[in-house]
Amino acid sequence: MKDITKNDTSHVIKPNKGSEHPSSTDRHRTLIKVQGIEQSFKVGEETVEVLHNSSFTIEEKTFNIIYGPSGSGKSTLLNVLSAIQPPTRGRVEIAGFDIYKYKPEQLAYFRGSQIGVVYQQNYWVSSLNVIENVALPLYFLGKKKQEAHRLAMDALQRIDMAPFAKKSPLLLSGGEQQRIAMARAIVADPMLIIADEPTGSLDTKNGDMIMALLQSYNRDLKRTVVLVTHNMEYLPLADRLIKINDGVCQEMQNDDVGHTTKNLIKDLGDRIDKLAESKRNG
Amino acid sequence: MDKARLSLAKSKRPTISLRLLLHMSWQNIISKKLRSWLTIMGIIVGIGSIAFLVSFGLGLQQIVTDNVVGDNSIRSIEITTPNSRIIKLDSQAIEKIQKFPHIDKLGVAYSFPASIGLSGGGIDSIIYGVDDQFQEMTTLNLIDGRLLNNKDQNSIVLSTATLKAIGISDNSKALGQDVEITVPLQYADPELKDLEESFKIVGIIDSGQDNEIFTTTAVFDAQQVPIYKVAKVIADDTDNINELRTQIEASGFQTSSPIDTLDQINQLFKFFNIILAGFGAIGIIVALLGMFNTLTISLLERTKEIGLMVTLGGRRRDMRRLFMIEASILSIIGALSGIVLSYVSGQIINQVANANAASRVSERFNIFSTPMWLVAVLVLFMLAVGLLVAFFPAKRAERINPIDALRRE
Ligand SMILES: Nc1ncnc2c1ncn2[C@@H]1O[C@H](COP(=O)(O)OP(=O)(O)OP(=O)(O)O)[C@@H](O)[C@H]1O
Ligand SMILES: [Mg+2]
Repeated sequence: MKDITKNDTSHVIKPNKGSEHPSSTDRHRTLIKVQGIEQSFKVGEETVEVLHNSSFTIEEKTFNIIYGPSGSGKSTLLNVLSAIQPPTRGRVEIAGFDIYKYKPEQLAYFRGSQIGVVYQQNYWVSSLNVIENVALPLYFLGKKKQEAHRLAMDALQRIDMAPFAKKSPLLLSGGEQQRIAMARAIVADPMLIIADEPTGSLDTKNGDMIMALLQSYNRDLKRTVVLVTHNMEYLPLADRLIKINDGVCQEMQNDDVGHTTKNLIKDLGDRIDKLAESKRNG
Repeated sequence: MDKARLSLAKSKRPTISLRLLLHMSWQNIISKKLRSWLTIMGIIVGIGSIAFLVSFGLGLQQIVTDNVVGDNSIRSIEITTPNSRIIKLDSQAIEKIQKFPHIDKLGVAYSFPASIGLSGGGIDSIIYGVDDQFQEMTTLNLIDGRLLNNKDQNSIVLSTATLKAIGISDNSKALGQDVEITVPLQYADPELKDLEESFKIVGIIDSGQDNEIFTTTAVFDAQQVPIYKVAKVIADDTDNINELRTQIEASGFQTSSPIDTLDQINQLFKFFNIILAGFGAIGIIVALLGMFNTLTISLLERTKEIGLMVTLGGRRRDMRRLFMIEASILSIIGALSGIVLSYVSGQIINQVANANAASRVSERFNIFSTPMWLVAVLVLFMLAVGLLVAFFPAKRAERINPIDALRRE
């Protein structure tokens, strides 16, 4: 991956119009197959059902966006997809493996080597500096410190954060932290990137930069991206949309993306009009 | 996706190196400087006080042992007879003993009351007839002239107290001087007459207040004295002393060894040292509570971090190891610093005590003694109890569910 932040045009996020996409031809194999998953949590005496009987697939090398209202179960679904949360029922296949059949240690190795996660919030090991935090997944993969730091430096350079290597991540701004979280997610060169509202707390410029990074990772390196976002503007980037409502996932077909986006934006406009009107009346 | 196939199918996964775990634990320790420092201080005080008290006990033990055993080799055995008429310590018996295994050296000595003077009548003293080996084992404190050897004829070495008693106060004048000695040999054999001869002084020893005279065995051999007063052997190894003694005693002789006294001293000091260590142990308990507190707070603070590390590919058992390593680092640093501190204080006290006593005591002595084994025992002990205390927080770290940890506010 080239240093895309230095390339001015990369900040402009291009909508994904099928045929324009260079990799559209070889986009057939299924990477993730989710079958009838359910997820419930015990909270005291009660059982909270978060995901209901959801099934869908995610194709290799695609850019997928999951959207839905707050509390609908998006983060929970991402946890299930990122091999950290075994579902109460159903199965998750990644690259043909029924992943939750494997031992926790093997699953941890799989996470470290094949899945890069950017969380809704920023989490750091506070006693380690930026480069050590970025290198963490490599440490756990058994890499030597020197090599891990070389790769971590590469990842930092890609996002233009190399000068921050020796700083404490806690002292950086939200945008800077989010970029470093991106570096940590890609440092082990995983096949799958999962990002939970990575732009949630960022301004447009920083948000766009993160999106550009994700897009470049998908287009240039042909990695699969699964993204949760509330930001409607980004929906057109997706090859595929997965809508989640009250824990039920609904797959949108490729052709629907434009249509859905248009509807969503129209809904939004309507809602804002209504709000404005009630303000004027009340 | 061949990469995925590889990473999931492997039954034994590579994992983080011990060196990096050490690095991460160390970073955590230095990022919480005050807390880590307080924890280490607790261990310094705890281990330091044990080291200080036990060093004191060991130093005293050494001083007492040195005084009691003196210059005698602890491998030596003194052989006497309980009844010289029935069991004779004669040359035949010595030949027999000589053949026992594990004997390094054997020496014999006659001993009689004697009277010594410059000419005729004199003062009471004890005369020993010793062979070279016996003389060597007795380690005489020679201050002038020379010691005896088997070839000497009518030569003596005597103590300063004896010299003074016969009226010679200048050592240099004594050497070469002839003295008259009378020895009533009837003590050994009623048939024998008194030995009355002139001897030349060849050496002077310091043996405190005792009137002692040493001469060669040849003097008494010539008079056909049938039995020795005492024989001394040195065993080839302390471990063989008991075997050798049993063998000698089986022939009817009595034996005694400095090891008897030493055993009693050691027994007493073992008890004393345990009591001293017990006082120090109170400090250790406080230090351990401090460490438990530190690790538990660290666990609560780091719940999220641990969850994060697991999601990033860490094994749960590595999380446990992080805590165990942290406890080990704190224990070792604390224990070593505590020992160094106690050692330095002990050395200062040793110096001061020696300086004060220099006028009265000729040899250096150590009130505090910190042998290497004590250092090793204390460090290992602290490491063991430190790990024991770390076990529970570490186990909790291992059980942290990453999802719950990351969701926590
Ligand atoms: N481990 C858990 N234990 C109990 N309840 C949980 C757990 N995880 C999620 N939930 C509940 O499940 C529901 C969905 O949570 P989730 O975080 O998946 O929502 P979300 O779609 O990501 O919301 P947001 O857009 O606000 O991030 C919430 O009501 C939440 O309280
Ligand atoms: Mg969420």
